[in-house]
Amino acid sequence: MSTPRLFRGGQAVDAAHASPRRLDLLVSARGKIEKVAPEIAPPAGAEIVDCTGKILLPGLFDMHVHLREPGREDEETIAAGGRAAVRGGFTGIVAMPNTDPPIDTGGLVRFVRTLAREQSPIPVWTSGCITKGRAGQQLADIADMHRQGAVMITDDGDPVADAYLFRRALEYARHFDLLTACHCEVPELSRGGAMNEGARSYRLGIPGIPACSEEISIARDLELARLAGARIHIQHVTTARGLDIVRRAKQDGVRVTCEVSPHHLLLNEDDITDYDTNFKMNPPLRTAADNEALLAGLLDGSIDALATDHAPHTEFEKNLDFASAPFGITGLETALPSLYERLVRPGKLPWDILVRAFSETPRRILCIEPPGFREGESADFVVFNPEGRTKVDPETMASKSRNTPFIGQSLSGAVEEVALGANLLLAGKQA
Amino acid sequence: MSTTTAPPRRKDLLDIESLSREEIVFLLETARPFKDLFTRSVKKVPALRGKTVLNLFFESSTRTRASFEIAAKRLSADVTNLAITQSSVTKGESILDTVETMQSMKVDYMVVRHAGAGVPAFIAKHTPAAVINAGDGNHAHPTQALLDAFTMREAVGELAGRKILLVGDLLHSRVSRSVSTIARKLGMEVGIFAPGTLVPAGRPDYMKSFADFGEAIEWGPDFVYLLRLQRERQAAHFFPSLREYHNVFGLTRERFLECRRRGIRIMHPGPVNRGVELVDEVLTYEHCLINRQVENGIAARMAVLYWLQPAVAPLPDEKEDATS
Repeated sequence: MSTPRLFRGGQAVDAAHASPRRLDLLVSARGKIEKVAPEIAPPAGAEIVDCTGKILLPGLFDMHVHLREPGREDEETIAAGGRAAVRGGFTGIVAMPNTDPPIDTGGLVRFVRTLAREQSPIPVWTSGCITKGRAGQQLADIADMHRQGAVMITDDGDPVADAYLFRRALEYARHFDLLTACHCEVPELSRGGAMNEGARSYRLGIPGIPACSEEISIARDLELARLAGARIHIQHVTTARGLDIVRRAKQDGVRVTCEVSPHHLLLNEDDITDYDTNFKMNPPLRTAADNEALLAGLLDGSIDALATDHAPHTEFEKNLDFASAPFGITGLETALPSLYERLVRPGKLPWDILVRAFSETPRRILCIEPPGFREGESADFVVFNPEGRTKVDPETMASKSRNTPFIGQSLSGAVEEVALGANLLLAGKQA
Repeated sequence: MSTTTAPPRRKDLLDIESLSREEIVFLLETARPFKDLFTRSVKKVPALRGKTVLNLFFESSTRTRASFEIAAKRLSADVTNLAITQSSVTKGESILDTVETMQSMKVDYMVVRHAGAGVPAFIAKHTPAAVINAGDGNHAHPTQALLDAFTMREAVGELAGRKILLVGDLLHSRVSRSVSTIARKLGMEVGIFAPGTLVPAGRPDYMKSFADFGEAIEWGPDFVYLLRLQRERQAAHFFPSLREYHNVFGLTRERFLECRRRGIRIMHPGPVNRGVELVDEVLTYEHCLINRQVENGIAARMAVLYWLQPAVAPLPDEKEDATS
């Protein structure tokens, strides 16, 4: 692009402002925000992007994405996952290391980052495994992975069952101030389970996973983090009690952050009808009371981040029976519109908290500078049309998989443009 | 046949929960004349002549399969049995592939058993054939519940206000889920007696739980329904030993004598583990309904096959037949 662009007439939201305010943004030909003001007169030769009636928000960041590459390119690739992220308004994502082979060496971290630079429209960071092969037996090459740019270590998909080994991992990672992220679950308690244990699992006759499987594991990991003095991040918190454990640890000074997924905020076990495997994920959908508690936690800051846990699976796999089908649902393309429709528009979740949890804080947790509407910075923002619709259409999704509970729905609001540096990543394609 | 007006026919029978009381009573009334047929020398009626019933069993069960097969044959249907091991599914053929293959063979009814809850419902959505759930995971076994209700009515008449005590492995039991649901819909009271390990979380509030067998018997059940115990549950620590299970939760000789003194009917979905759920003597007790349950299974399944209506579009010549 050779001309500056003026984004005119939009309502900007960011982590510092609870309600939208009129903001015009002038972006230079080189992709820098040159001027930010309530109203900017169009300079000669500037391209005007009319944002009247649209919301401008800083580029979202998803710290929990399964890109499946290397190994399961039939489910997702770094390229397709990156495109799906753009559709959802994300300008940064973190790949999970449970690939095949798992990302457990510096070389593999380098491989993912290289592939991402070549093929993804947005920056992709990667995590590395805590243990070699995610097998829970020996520490992976944590320093090597860190040197190659891994932003956190996690055995996501599984906990590190051996408490001794997990303690050593935390202590070792502390040396590099590297974040350890935990998938909290006691495998012995969850074994065989496919959904939350309770009245709904009884009625459906599906083996249950008790809430305490997650809660016990959270408690253990936080005590070990306290002992090690290490930074720890609890992935996908799903229960009120689990959140309370995190909340108490925070008050006690444990260096803990945590995330919640949009689906655990918006859906619960009662939404599982007809054995639809697009409602099967781990941790499972919990109860309506947990939905409430998680939202309260997001609002009071106990929950630091929103993260999709985007977990693509093929139609063939998801067409197995509920107990046999793999865990996981996609989320990149539906996160923002589903949250907007069910929480933001009804006034239950203010924009500033959404931006904080889905753009600013997850970046800060990983020591990545968050974007904003500040002069002199590179453009990194999303144009969201609150009156638009996002059709969750299996024919047009960017992800290679379609395993979302929102499939076939038309959600409120639509990401119309993503400005990243000098580029418009959607180039009006979605408008 | 019966004087009850028939409720609108359904395509599938997937569970008891979705049936109304009227539908249940209709099916029970319909089963009665079918059972009367068994005492005749010719036990067959032409109701399903020219129709094909496929027994699609992903989980082996000779008894249930035989019961469905006999039921279908007594309605003059053609029957094909297909046993599919889990391994051929994991080889890359999905359930959907299997169903589509079967559908090309134009079957009218599919009787489905699968270890995974919800599979019959999934299949029902993808086939015009009428689907009968013959047991799915821990979810449902509706024809078992119908034959049990039929057997109970046969024994005591009206079931409203009667009491049934379910004993044993409620956690892994589709039978207990379906039987308790039908009992409840027919106005019965439901009690349960089981070790804490085998009592499912989230069970409905109407189930009255008892601390010991004596207390449960004092409650005054009309029926004691013993659930089959899978021996392999011991390895998963649901109970320490079969001996201990029998001593605390089984129908021991002493408890049996107490049941007999009170004239309590004994039921079991079969096959029984002698010396575990019950002592041998129970099987020769005049109010032991276990063999009757097996016999009634055929009548109940005939009623279900007779009532369901496949969504298969009739061929043109078939329409002419119907009007002539």
